[in-house]
Amino acid sequence: MRDRDWAGGVYMAEFGSAAELGRAARAFQEKGYRMIETYSPIPVEGVVYRRSRLPKFVFAIGALGGLASYLIQWYANAYSYPLNIGGRPSHATTAFLIPTFEGTVLSAALAAFFGVFWILRLPQPWHPVFEIPDFDRASVDRYWLAIDARDPRGSRELTVNELREFSPLRVVALDPEPAA
Amino acid sequence: MTNDGANDLTRRGFLKFVGASLALAGLDGCTRMPAEKILPYVIEPPELTPGVPVHYATSMVLDGYATGLIVKAREGRPIKIEGNPGHPASLGATDAIHQASLLQLYDGDRATSLRSGRQRSSWAQLSAAFTPSSLRSRVGARGAGLYVVLEPTSSPLVISLLNRLRTLYPDMRVYYYAPLAGPNEATVARYDLAPADVILCVDADVLGTMPMHLHHARAFADRRRDPRHGMNRLYAIEPSLTVTGMSADERMRCRPSAVEPILAHLLSTLGGDRASGPAAAPPLPADVPTAWLAALASDLRAHAGRSVVIAGPHQTPVARALAASLNDVLGNAGHTAWHSASPLAEAGASGHSIADLADALRSGGVRALVCGGVNVAYAAPASLGLSSLLTRSPERLYLGMYEDETAERATWFVPQSHYLESWGDARAYDGTLSIVQPLVQPLYDSKSLVELLAMLGGQAAADPRMLLRQSWQEAGLAPTDEAWTSAVRTGFVAGSGFAPVATAPRSPIGPVTTAATSASPDSSTTATAPDRFEVVFAPDYRVHDGRFANIGWLQELPDPITKLTWGNAALVSPATAKLLGVSDGDGLALRHDSASLTIPALIVPGLADGTATIHFGYGRRGHEHAAIAAAGADAYTLWPAVGVPFMSNVSIERDESASRALATTHDHWSMEGRDQARIQTAAAYVASSSTQRPPRAPLPTLFQPEHPNGTSPHQWAMTIDLGTCIGCSACVVACQAENNIPVVGYEDVLKSREMHWLRIDRYATGPEENPAVVTQPMLCQHCEMAPCEYVCPVGATEHSSDGLNEMIYNRCVGTRFCSNNCPYKVRRFNWFDYNAELTEVERLVKNPDVTVRERGVMEKCTFCVQRIREAEIAAADAGTALHGGDVRTACQQACPTNAIVFGSLTEPETTMMQRRAEPRAYTVLEELGTRPRVTYLARIRNANPELDHA
Amino acid sequence: MSATVEPDTGVSAGAGWPLLTGQHDDASLTDHLLSPIWQTRPGWWWLFGLSCAGTLLFIGTITYTIARGIGVWGNNIPVAWAYAIVNFVWWVGIGHAGTFISAFLLLLNQRWRGSVNRIAEAMTIFALVNASLFPLLHLGRAWFFYWLIPYPATMGVWPNFKSSLPWDVAAVSTYFTVSLLFWYLGLVPDLASARDRAATLFRRRVYGLFALGWRGAGYQWARYRAAYTLLAALATPLVISVHSVVSLDFAIAQLPGWHSTIFPPYFVVGAIYSGLAMVIVLLLPMRRVFRLGDVITNAHLDAIAKLMLTMGLMLAYSYVIELFMAWYSGNQFERFTYLVDRPTGPYAVLYWVMTVLNVVTPQLFWVTRFRTSGPILFIASLGILAGMWIERFIIIVTSLNRDFLTSSWHFYAPSWVDWSILAGSVSLFAFLFLLFIRFVPSVAISEVKELSLGLGEGQVDLAPIGSVEAEHA
Repeated sequence: MRDRDWAGGVYMAEFGSAAELGRAARAFQEKGYRMIETYSPIPVEGVVYRRSRLPKFVFAIGALGGLASYLIQWYANAYSYPLNIGGRPSHATTAFLIPTFEGTVLSAALAAFFGVFWILRLPQPWHPVFEIPDFDRASVDRYWLAIDARDPRGSRELTVNELREFSPLRVVALDPEPAA
Repeated sequence: MTNDGANDLTRRGFLKFVGASLALAGLDGCTRMPAEKILPYVIEPPELTPGVPVHYATSMVLDGYATGLIVKAREGRPIKIEGNPGHPASLGATDAIHQASLLQLYDGDRATSLRSGRQRSSWAQLSAAFTPSSLRSRVGARGAGLYVVLEPTSSPLVISLLNRLRTLYPDMRVYYYAPLAGPNEATVARYDLAPADVILCVDADVLGTMPMHLHHARAFADRRRDPRHGMNRLYAIEPSLTVTGMSADERMRCRPSAVEPILAHLLSTLGGDRASGPAAAPPLPADVPTAWLAALASDLRAHAGRSVVIAGPHQTPVARALAASLNDVLGNAGHTAWHSASPLAEAGASGHSIADLADALRSGGVRALVCGGVNVAYAAPASLGLSSLLTRSPERLYLGMYEDETAERATWFVPQSHYLESWGDARAYDGTLSIVQPLVQPLYDSKSLVELLAMLGGQAAADPRMLLRQSWQEAGLAPTDEAWTSAVRTGFVAGSGFAPVATAPRSPIGPVTTAATSASPDSSTTATAPDRFEVVFAPDYRVHDGRFANIGWLQELPDPITKLTWGNAALVSPATAKLLGVSDGDGLALRHDSASLTIPALIVPGLADGTATIHFGYGRRGHEHAAIAAAGADAYTLWPAVGVPFMSNVSIERDESASRALATTHDHWSMEGRDQARIQTAAAYVASSSTQRPPRAPLPTLFQPEHPNGTSPHQWAMTIDLGTCIGCSACVVACQAENNIPVVGYEDVLKSREMHWLRIDRYATGPEENPAVVTQPMLCQHCEMAPCEYVCPVGATEHSSDGLNEMIYNRCVGTRFCSNNCPYKVRRFNWFDYNAELTEVERLVKNPDVTVRERGVMEKCTFCVQRIREAEIAAADAGTALHGGDVRTACQQACPTNAIVFGSLTEPETTMMQRRAEPRAYTVLEELGTRPRVTYLARIRNANPELDHA
Repeated sequence: MSATVEPDTGVSAGAGWPLLTGQHDDASLTDHLLSPIWQTRPGWWWLFGLSCAGTLLFIGTITYTIARGIGVWGNNIPVAWAYAIVNFVWWVGIGHAGTFISAFLLLLNQRWRGSVNRIAEAMTIFALVNASLFPLLHLGRAWFFYWLIPYPATMGVWPNFKSSLPWDVAAVSTYFTVSLLFWYLGLVPDLASARDRAATLFRRRVYGLFALGWRGAGYQWARYRAAYTLLAALATPLVISVHSVVSLDFAIAQLPGWHSTIFPPYFVVGAIYSGLAMVIVLLLPMRRVFRLGDVITNAHLDAIAKLMLTMGLMLAYSYVIELFMAWYSGNQFERFTYLVDRPTGPYAVLYWVMTVLNVVTPQLFWVTRFRTSGPILFIASLGILAGMWIERFIIIVTSLNRDFLTSSWHFYAPSWVDWSILAGSVSLFAFLFLLFIRFVPSVAISEVKELSLGLGEGQVDLAPIGSVEAEHA
């Protein structure tokens, strides 16, 4: 379940605390709403998401990076241009292990960093929610619950009323842009 | 020593390079070789094949005596000097000064223009001013006002030219002067160390500075190759530490004033009666160990006829006479010691000493003074006051290589040609006729002494080569063209040495100086009487009497004993230093009557207490950069008179103003209980017949080395015999010349940045009053398991298939990790661009077969890889197999004692391999598992058992 | 904002100091923590001017060195490595504390890291900027530094991976990259806050640019936390590995004083030790100047001081073991270097100063009062920083200046250029750090807010960040 682009419109309620948002979010999930999202300055345990695939991806890239690091060293010192360096073996496994380790960590870290932004589709300078007046407080002290207008469980007045039950500071309805 | 180029590929750098090569091309004009005149030693006809070196024989003359040399030229420029194997004074070896004289040829400070007063002038004007007619008008019809000063000369050509001059100017006066030349006697003392089982050197540096020292060193070493059979024993009695003293088996230090009493005592002990008999022998100074002398005497007696007693040529006549009579008493005369006629002109004749000249100048009789290459204004006892007296002569014609002290006072100054630029001849100490043959036409507008004398004789335009040929014909030295040709080709006339002369019955020896006995040397009285010090005046191993002071290679060559570079110091024993309360570099003021000298102190173990040793040749006041940079103190200001070896009753006090940081390259005498340089007495050696540790199992390793000792037919290796290394340091300069090693200067030597690929470590063991000293040439050990190689991040140093530890300069990025991990610390780093400031002329000395290293790269000994490859190519061209023993490294070729031998591990019959198999062979720091290719032979000290028990 | 929430065992560290004081709602807390990037204070300008001057000196002396050659330093043979390498090891070491605090303590659920980790991470990055300069600078031909990197060269030659120097290149560059990614990832939510709080459009756009359009959506938070935890898990082994590799620059040599198997752990301990000292040196002035007393409390100082004490004791142990092994080895060269040369040789004074600074100083921290007293912490930390610099000098120089052959023994003395470069690198560090606190949120706002939320609601079991995924497993 990805972050929504709210192409079909969205109903949003603004809360003053993480706790309220958390309660509301859980309740709406129990009601059977599925197209839910929260916006908050700090993580709030409300909506449940699928387990991330990021760790597997990072592991795979890291392993590849390590393998590549070792192969580069083997190719350079043992295969492409072997030299008699102080009578030591050209294929010096123990020595090669250290750059191999570094290569593993580096590629894994890069995978994690760019992987997460790819998953989150960031950077994304504009988003419909930014159009909501005073939404910028969502990064400071306001907590928003958002329900997709297309959520089969709800409808305009039903959803809005159900939102109101949690006595939010206000409820906002974003209608789909004509373009969409 | 700096350049702005952060990158060798910058446009500026490139332009600079182009400029240099253009200038070089221009210079070919003056370095073109007079091919039709001179005859090559090896290759003929001598047409120049670019890249193929040509060798010519010539001779270098010092203080009147010639040493035969073979000089290697590439594209017309001399680039390396070797000894002439046939020449008795060389036997193929050289000393540091011979090697470095090459650099003097290209010295940027050499005088380039002939001048009259301050005006630039010409040879034509000069010869016009000195035509016999005009000169007679100034110096009198019979030339009574004409005074000529020359170095002592053995040159038949110069003698004949002087005779010709005398016919023009019958009353002309000629003076022969070199400050460190031997005594002015009709005969010279000759020695043969080969048959001598026991050698006693009484303040005689027979291996270091005495005439024929290369010859003596070889003879001495040949009797020490195998310590188990017929090893000779060298005794040294000396006030200061010399090369000979370092090599001695038994050494006794004594104050210089004690030399005569000791000799007299020995003579009386050995029953000499022709001299001052036992009765007349004065009491020995308190601190002379009589037991030691007794042991020595019995050893001499036991080897009567097979021993030799040598007193230094600078010793007092009495001392030398005593030594001579000791040889008589021991029956050595005629076997190991004899006399032969002196090859020097007017030897023994009186009235031509430098003191006489001073008197003449003072009396004002001198109208014109001609000074032929003698820097009298500097290199003479200051007490004579010559530097000021010179101006008493209205005309002063000076022939010199530099704008030096004498040149400043000259009315006419003529730049002197280097010996590699001039024709001439001379005799060796033993009389052997030697040719001085030029390899290049003069780089500058310079003239040789021969040309000057010829000009005075009215032959201004004479061709010196024709003059030489003429004089030899007239003198019957080379009657036929064949004789002449072979003489020029080989560089000397074989068998022209002088025969022994029956020494005239010696007049009874004069009374032994008793001043010595009055100067009680034990430090207790010295303490109470600070004016009771004695000062020893010694020739310098590097700049001799100061004439070589501007040769960077010599200034930066560590002194064989003190390892001091760029300057001199007052050498004092540890006890004396404690007494004076000084440590290395602290200033001292030496005073005697009116004379005084301020000089920094340097502590040297093994010196006689209550004495200070000073080397000549420093404190120069001319215009030579290196000589000035070296600074140092001028020993001539204290020197009482020519030929005086020491001075008594000198007061020494601290003088902070004279303090100076001394640029020593190796200031730690002790081995700290380690065994890198092994030394053992002959007795113990013969007993164990091995100085090796118990044979150990090969060090365990996790890896099977996949690179066994290489795959090439030759596996290069070297052995160095510490038993015959006398520490003379010729190899160091030879290496510097062969491998384009830069000079870094006083400041950088202070920072321990000297670049020598080969250094000579010097360790003292035993009591610091009189230690046993061992010298150890240390160079890249070419380890099979080289620690420097595996730490290089870019593989700039690795192993060749023939076992060389190779350094790839253009791959080096300069991390210097290799140096940190080299347990022998033989790698050198280019901290700056040391070649940036060389002039085009100075660059001519570089060996074209060796890369000139740029800033920021590491370098080190290559086992003279260029010589190896050259030999391999030659063998390949000739279609023959290369014999490893035929490749000789520069250090090996220069070594007078053959202590260094190079060769291949794959040829068991070579000397190198035989030495490697000796029981006293070992490798340094073998426990580190580096498996060096350089093997050392432990030094064996042939100690006198009596003395060892005592 | 003086009133103090009474100690809460759940979120307070150590001897019961709160991790957070003052009455804050989210807005005021956010503005308070963002305030340094909105307006400067005069003290900042003074320090900034000073650091600029020092940085210019740095640039000047580096130019001089490259133009004339390494000879302008005091290095020689045998001491071919000196200040440049000492500074390198020192800076790399200082860097370690940043990763240690932000990554290591994150995995260990140490909540107190929250308000100091951003500063520590910045310190790491700027220390590494300095550290990575010196290995390049000390090369005889610095312009060929890239020959240490494996690339297909026309000559077909490659680096020699048996040497520890290419390992170094790999380790330090990896460490720098990972630290930078970790730091930036942590910044994103706070940059969003800055974006949304910015007064002017320009600032809004600049911070908006770097915030990448962060919206604080629950899904973003979840994936973000996953990545953050992964990076922390990857950075943690680096804390151990990097200085271990650096120590191999010496340990693979056979030089007495370098050739030692204890080096890797010994270097890591020393690294974290000096890094923590640097954190203290940076925290105390910041806390005063920007009035961060509410979020950087005694609890933090106390915790860091305790860590320093621990590291100090481990370091002392390493010193003792070094000496013992030297004696126990029976190797005359080892014994000379450790038991004779260092305590009594030409650098003996430095050796004993080092011992006092590194071993005696931290013993202060047995006393609770000293652990929280600003002046004492500050001075002690400066002492430890100096002590650790001297330790590296002792290890490098006193091993080189007197090794196997007594003939090659020689003294080393630094030149004025060596001193200027050292001063210059410290200035560059200060320069970068001052820019950081001026333009980047220097305290992790969202984490602190989370913490305050925990305090407010008294939730003892406030879930540590990063555990979101687990809960949904």
